[in-house]
Amino acid sequence: MTRRILDHPILGKMEDNNYVSFTFNQKGYKGLENESLAAALLANGIRTLRHHEESGSPRGIYCNIGHCYECRVSVDGQQGIRACLTPVKEGMTVESDGQLPSSKRR
Amino acid sequence: MKEDEMIICRCEEVSYEELKTTAAKYKCSARELKLRTRAGMGYCGGRSCRTMVDKIAATSANDRNRTCVSLKYQPPIRPISFKNLGG
Amino acid sequence: MDNAIIIGAGPAGLTAAVTCAEKGLDVVVIDEYMRAGGRLLGQLYEEPNGNWWNGIKESTKLYKKAVDLGVNFHLNTAVNNIENSNGIWTIYTERETFHTPSLLLATGAAEAPVPVPGWTLPGVMSVGAAQVMTNVHRVKPGERGVIIGVNVLSAAIAMELQLAGVEVASLTLPKTNQMTQDAGKPKEVLDSLLHVSHMAPSPFVRYGSKLMKNDFMKKLGVNFYPKKGVKMWDIPIQLRKAVTKIYGEDEVEGVTLATINADGEVVSGSEEHIPVDFVCIAGGLYPLAELAAVAGCPFYLVEELGGYVPLHNERMESPLEGLYVAGNITGIEGAKVAAAQGRTAGLSMAHHAGMDELDGEIKNSIEWTEQTRDNAHIQFHPEIETGRKKILQQWDAYQSNKKRSVVSNSRGGIT
Ligand code: FES
Repeated sequence: MTRRILDHPILGKMEDNNYVSFTFNQKGYKGLENESLAAALLANGIRTLRHHEESGSPRGIYCNIGHCYECRVSVDGQQGIRACLTPVKEGMTVESDGQLPSSKRR
Repeated sequence: MKEDEMIICRCEEVSYEELKTTAAKYKCSARELKLRTRAGMGYCGGRSCRTMVDKIAATSANDRNRTCVSLKYQPPIRPISFKNLGG
Repeated sequence: MDNAIIIGAGPAGLTAAVTCAEKGLDVVVIDEYMRAGGRLLGQLYEEPNGNWWNGIKESTKLYKKAVDLGVNFHLNTAVNNIENSNGIWTIYTERETFHTPSLLLATGAAEAPVPVPGWTLPGVMSVGAAQVMTNVHRVKPGERGVIIGVNVLSAAIAMELQLAGVEVASLTLPKTNQMTQDAGKPKEVLDSLLHVSHMAPSPFVRYGSKLMKNDFMKKLGVNFYPKKGVKMWDIPIQLRKAVTKIYGEDEVEGVTLATINADGEVVSGSEEHIPVDFVCIAGGLYPLAELAAVAGCPFYLVEELGGYVPLHNERMESPLEGLYVAGNITGIEGAKVAAAQGRTAGLSMAHHAGMDELDGEIKNSIEWTEQTRDNAHIQFHPEIETGRKKILQQWDAYQSNKKRSVVSNSRGGIT
């Protein structure tokens, strides 16, 4: 089941259909070119974008417009990139920032 | 999770209890409360928790002259990556 | 060197850019978002005349107009710092550094949270985040959610979610505490909603507003407020409930909802579990004024405007030479007011750049802003005009004390 709102009573049908491939934590996904990474991941059912650096608690988007820095991921090796502000491009390699949940938890 | 354990500052994971206790003990300004607990001193620069920390401080501090302030913000207001700092 | 630089590509910034460009200035607009429009992008509501206000369309229109006039956009670019020396503002971004004698801060507003135990779980987001996901990205924030915090903004967004086929299980209150304060008290919330009842499509709320003129009736209204709440656009608005906890292992699985009395206290034993896959937090907006603070602009706390606002006058000038402010950074209002302020700021900047004979236009633009405010369909704060007056009084006081008060302005205690 898609999480995309393909048809909207006021906004109409979605026009973009230019899908590109990217990876998140080594798994392949498809997103619409230039939509935000956060939107592309959520459309694929992914909410957890990173884990808190000390506690390891899972975090996802909170503000969705660049204010809260909760959505930090690594993009093509560069850390601390806000997924909610970053347009998806073909071939992007995205990784969760922060501590892996297995090493320390709650 | 009890209400006291609830996190106020998401970046530094500072709890409601820690903020309440510190505010009650020192009856300090919001600025001092932040320095003592690290609430609002994390990655987002306090954008998410500022209003809440201010309210907790206002409850216990005798903040006079609250209407006119010079908000103390340190640049950069967005974290700069080490790469950019280098130059 | 650019004639004018504008930080923020929302309705205020875009309108200012268009205005400056029309007056022949070279204009640069910087915004950290990937698209121009700011919070306007997500807006979608039906106006009293039956037309739909479509934020994406409005944003695109403004953006195209600016581009056609030669405005230079730097989107996806975050500003780190601004500095003034010898009348020239330097703007530091992640990539480039810009210089201008005329700088407009149109950075808009940030959302104030109401904290709830469990609110760091993935799936919990600000109500504005859900709005952008739904209307701009066209991705559902989830299948079924709860909105915590009942106010004008959250009610409007609840309706937008519903429109997009996302189920809103409840629009309800946060538990009352030091931070949520009145937002957790049914009576206070009902009171604030009565101010906007003219826009409520629900006959109950409309009828209610006439019925509950005095305090006693309001209290009654809350006491007899149906336990299940009332429905607005088929969304249950539950003023006698509060979320005490958001639960889930690795992401949101549900919320604990409790019955509260008229003062917001939880009735013990009334808790129930509501399964949802997302939660929106709606604590309202406050002016995002960090850059004005970094620049050294004096601030005033004006509750009616939504928080601390940088000192400014009707011409959108700050007390600092060549620094202007417009839009929600000056107080929380709708997009149309922000745009009107943006036009005034643009004219003031053109005037600063040496264009003569703009006084008449500036005066008209200020009047237009007031008219727009009077006709506003959505008002975030019922006392907005009082707030505007307060800041103008502060401006006058500041100007007359300027020479003597250099000391007192550096004395503030609040960060
Ligand atoms: S979700 Fe807040 S910065 Fe990306």
